[in-house]
Amino acid sequence: MLVLSRKPDQSLLLGGEITVTVLSIDGDRVKLGVTAPRHITVLREEIFKQVQSANAGAASASARPPLAAIASALRSR
Amino acid sequence: MTVTVTTATSLDASSSDASDSATDALMFPSGLVGCADWKRFVLISAEGTPLQLAYMQSLDDPNIALVVTNPSQLDPHYAAPLSLEDRADLGLSDGTQPLVYCTLTVGGDGWLTANLLGPLVVNPLTGTGKQLVLVDSGYSTQFPVTQLVNAQIA
Repeated sequence: MLVLSRKPDQSLLLGGEITVTVLSIDGDRVKLGVTAPRHITVLREEIFKQVQSANAGAASASARPPLAAIASALRSR
Repeated sequence: MTVTVTTATSLDASSSDASDSATDALMFPSGLVGCADWKRFVLISAEGTPLQLAYMQSLDDPNIALVVTNPSQLDPHYAAPLSLEDRADLGLSDGTQPLVYCTLTVGGDGWLTANLLGPLVVNPLTGTGKQLVLVDSGYSTQFPVTQLVNAQIA
């Protein structure tokens, strides 16, 4: 991992088109600003992992009972 | 169980006549979130079940299939707003509304949950899709829907 020190108002450039700026530091919270082209998705890592994990979980065979069973449960709720 | 391949539109539309459309295949050019290789799918519904439910079967990996449904039947106020970039990614023309699906998962405890945080949006005309992440929406990846009893799972 590349490790760099930055102060507030200093930035990093990633790949020439993504800028990450340290806006402020308050205790254990760092406020970052990200400037990136619209096609670059910027997500908090934990949110990304939540959705990734939900996708993997939904795709596993044990999470897939017959549609008829799900339909029946939906109807009876 | 008899399965029929349905059109991309038929989860929303009342029509079940799938034979006259070429949009039964779904293509997610960027894959799903965190699963970038999951690009090509086909929607498969089972005969005798409501069209609001389908398997989204991977064409890249036969072991991968997700149960999808129309999230508005779980939450009537559900909304998956698309940015201009999202609309461009889907190739949606002005005035065309995307189809919106969410995945359903049955947990080990028998609870059926819906991923409302990461809906799948699809261009109904081309089958091009994308998974959104509705950051700050308050939606969860595990929206509790109902509990399946053992008899229903078996």
